[in-house]
Amino acid sequence: MARNNLGRIFASIADLSAPPKLSPPLVGSSNSVSRLIRSSSSTRQENSPVKEPGETVKSNQESEEIVDDQEDENEEDTGDFVNKDTGEVGGPRGPEPTRYGDWERNGRCYDF
Amino acid sequence: MGFSIWVWRLGSVGGRLLSLPPLSFIMYAAIFFLLKRKSLVLVFHFICKLRMIAMATGVAAGTSNFHFGGIRCKGQSCQQASLVSSLTFNGCIQRELSWSFGVSRFLRFQRFNFSHSPVSENWKSLRTVPVLSCLRDGSVKYFDFSVIGSGVAGLCYALEVAKHGTVAVITKAEPHESNTNYAQGGVSAVLCPSDSVESHMQDTIVAGAYLCDDETVRVVCTEGPDRIRELIAIGASFDRGGDGNLHLAREGGHSHHRIVHAADMTGREIERALLEAVVSDPNISVFEHHFAIDLLTTLDGPHAVCHGVDTLNVETQEVVRFISKVTLLASGGAGHIYPSTTNPLVATGDGMAMAHRAQAVISNMEFVQFHPTALADEGLPIKPKKTRENSFLITEAVRGDGGILYNLGMERFMPLYDERAELAPRDVVARSIDDQLKKRNEKYVLLDISHKPTEKILSHFPNIAAECLKYGLDITSQPIPVVPAAHYMCGGVRAGLQGETNVRGLYVAGEVACTGLHGANRLASNSLLEALVFARRAVQPSIDHKKSTSIDLSASNWWTRTVVPKSLGCNVMHNILRRTKEVRKELQSIMWRYVGIVRSTTSLQTAEWRIDELEAEWETYLFEHGWEQTFVGLEACEMRNLFCCAKLVVSSALARHESRGLHYMVDFPHVEENKRLPTIILPSLVNCTWSSRQLHKLPVC
Repeated sequence: MARNNLGRIFASIADLSAPPKLSPPLVGSSNSVSRLIRSSSSTRQENSPVKEPGETVKSNQESEEIVDDQEDENEEDTGDFVNKDTGEVGGPRGPEPTRYGDWERNGRCYDF
Repeated sequence: MGFSIWVWRLGSVGGRLLSLPPLSFIMYAAIFFLLKRKSLVLVFHFICKLRMIAMATGVAAGTSNFHFGGIRCKGQSCQQASLVSSLTFNGCIQRELSWSFGVSRFLRFQRFNFSHSPVSENWKSLRTVPVLSCLRDGSVKYFDFSVIGSGVAGLCYALEVAKHGTVAVITKAEPHESNTNYAQGGVSAVLCPSDSVESHMQDTIVAGAYLCDDETVRVVCTEGPDRIRELIAIGASFDRGGDGNLHLAREGGHSHHRIVHAADMTGREIERALLEAVVSDPNISVFEHHFAIDLLTTLDGPHAVCHGVDTLNVETQEVVRFISKVTLLASGGAGHIYPSTTNPLVATGDGMAMAHRAQAVISNMEFVQFHPTALADEGLPIKPKKTRENSFLITEAVRGDGGILYNLGMERFMPLYDERAELAPRDVVARSIDDQLKKRNEKYVLLDISHKPTEKILSHFPNIAAECLKYGLDITSQPIPVVPAAHYMCGGVRAGLQGETNVRGLYVAGEVACTGLHGANRLASNSLLEALVFARRAVQPSIDHKKSTSIDLSASNWWTRTVVPKSLGCNVMHNILRRTKEVRKELQSIMWRYVGIVRSTTSLQTAEWRIDELEAEWETYLFEHGWEQTFVGLEACEMRNLFCCAKLVVSSALARHESRGLHYMVDFPHVEENKRLPTIILPSLVNCTWSSRQLHKLPVC
C-alpha cells in the first residue's frame, strides 16, 4: 500500500524531470531526483529476488526497513544532518567517507 | 684585426635590429649576398633552424635563471635535473653549432659591403612569407588575459586578474565540465590549531617519495589556509562542525585531520561558487565550446614568447584567434591516454601538448596515478550501451570491509604479493592487479564481497549495488569486475614558484602544471590545493607582465590561419572520424599494455615504436584523404594531443632508471638515491609529425 503511494509520488517526480533541456540548477535537482528513483527502484528490485529463495520473514522486514530508512534519508536531504560521532553539520550520512583513506560515498570512491 | 671588429660591430647592430645574435646575423648576411635574392626561402629555413638551435641552447643553458627545484644547487647535493632529449635532438645541436661556428670564423676575415636597409626590408618580407591566407576564416579577439580551462585554477585566476584587465576564459565544453567538478573529495589545508605546516609538508614529501621540491611544498602548505578562506568569502560553503568551525576529515597519508570538504562534492561546490562569481564579473568573457588548438608564439632571441591562442568554436565550426598579453594554461590532465580513467572526456592532455609544441619544458610525465579498483565494464553481464565516460571507482572500503580479490581463475592472488593481502597500500594492490592482468592476458579481476551479510553490503555500498544491478550484477552474490583506472597526472608543464614557464607570457596552474609539489606521487587532496595556490601566485607576475607589454594589432597576421575542413565531403569526414576513433582506442590499449602501472625497458621501447608507427599510419590516412596541414577538427586535434602526451609519458618513463612512487620498473625495482631528480623534457628540434608542430608554422624538416 505504502509502496503504491510511493510509486505514484515517484511517477509524478519523473514527470517533472521529463523536459530534456534544463538549466544547470534544475539539472542538479533532476539528477538527485533520478538518483532517488533509481536507488529506490533498485532496492525494490533487490527485495524481490531476495524474497524468492525462501528467505526468512525477518530478513524481509530488515530489508524493508532499510528501504524505508533510505527513503527517509532521501526525503530529508535538504535538512541539516548532524553527525553524532564527529559533530559535523550537513555532512554525508553513513560511515565516515575517509575511514579507509580514500574519499568514499556509498561505495563509490572519488579521490584517494 | 680592426676590420673584424668593424664586421662584429655591424653584425651586432644588425643582429639587434632583427633580434639575432651577431654571429648568426653575419652569417645570414653572408649567405644572402653569396646566394643573392633567389634563395630567400633557403635563407629563411636557415634562419629558422639557427634560431631554434639558439633558443634550445638558450633553454638548456639558461635554465639556471628559471626557478627549477631540480637544477638549483643546494647544501648537501647539487641537483642537476636529468635531461631527456632524443638522440636526434642532441646530434642536431652539435652538427649545426659546429657548422655555424666554422662559417662565422671563416666570414670574419672576408670583406663585405652591406647596409642595413636591404636586409631589414627583406626581413619584413621574410616575416610575411608564412602568411598564406587573409582574415576570411573566423575572427580575432583581443584580451589582456587569456585563460585556457575553466577548472578551479582557471576560474580563480580569472577572478583575480579581472580587476586589472579584460579576461577571456576559453573552455572546450561546458564551463563546469572539468576534472575539478569530479574531484569530490576535499582540499587539504592546515586549519586546525594542533596541526602544523611542517606536518603537512612532511606528509607531502613522504607521499611524493622525496622527489618534491621543498620550496614549492613550503609555499603551498603555507598559503593553503588563506586560499580556503578566500574561497569561503567567494561563497563556497564547506561542512562545519557543531562548534561552527570547518569540519576537517583525515584522508590516507595525512597525519592530522586537515581535509576541508563539502559533503561529498567539494569540487563541484567550489566550481559552482567560482562560476557564479565569474559569470557576474563584467570583465570576464567565457567562451564555451572553444577548443584550444595551439598557442601563438614567436621567438625573441633565445626565448619563446606567447601571444595568445588559436581556438576552434566547436558549435559554429569557426576558428577564433585570441591575442592576449598573458596566457594562463589551466587545461587539466590527460587521463584519456589510457582506456580506463576517472577523468571526464575533456581530459585529453591538450594543455601539455600545446605547451610542448610551443617550446615549453615538460617535467615528470612518467608519474601517472592509478586507482586499483574501478568497475570494469567488460565484466558486467549486460554491457553498457555507451562507453562509460569516466570510471566508477570502487572504494578501498570494500576491501577494508572484507572484500577479496580473485583473478579470473578464482585464485586469491594478493597474498603472493604482500602479507597484508587486500589491505596492502593502494599502489601495491594496483601493481599486483596489473601484474596478474598482464601475466594472464586478461581484462579484469574480481572483487568479491558477497560473503558478507547482505544488509551490511547494501547499507555501506548502495551506489555500487545500484550501479552493478543496472547491468545485471548482484554484488551480494557475485564478485565485482574491477580494473585499475588512470586518475591523475603528477607531471606536466614545468612551472616556477610563480607559475611561470620558460615561455614568456605563458603561465600554468593546476593539473597541467608540474610545480614540484607532488613529486613522484600525489598526496590525497593536494591537487585542488595546488591549483588554488598557484593560480593565485601567477596573478601578480601576470599583471606586471601585462603592464609591460603592448599588443601589436597586426599580430594576428604573424601566424598562418588554421582552417576548418569545409572542402572535404561528408563521406570523407565520416571515414576520418571513424579511423580517428579506432586509432584512439588503439593508442589507449598500447599505453595500458606497455606503459601501465608496471613497466619495463622492453615494454616501453615497444610502446615507443608502436606509437610512432600508429601515428605515422594515422597521419598518412588523414593526408591521403585530403586533410591539409592547417586543417583543424575537434577529434583530430584531440588525437594529436593524445599522441603528444603519450610520447611524453613514454620518453619520461624510459629516462627514469629506478622505481620511485608511481613509476615502477621491473628492471630497476628499487629507489636509487642518486636518481632523485625530476625528469625534464626539452622542446625537440625534430618535429616532423603533424602532432609535434604548431599548425600555424611551416614545416621545417
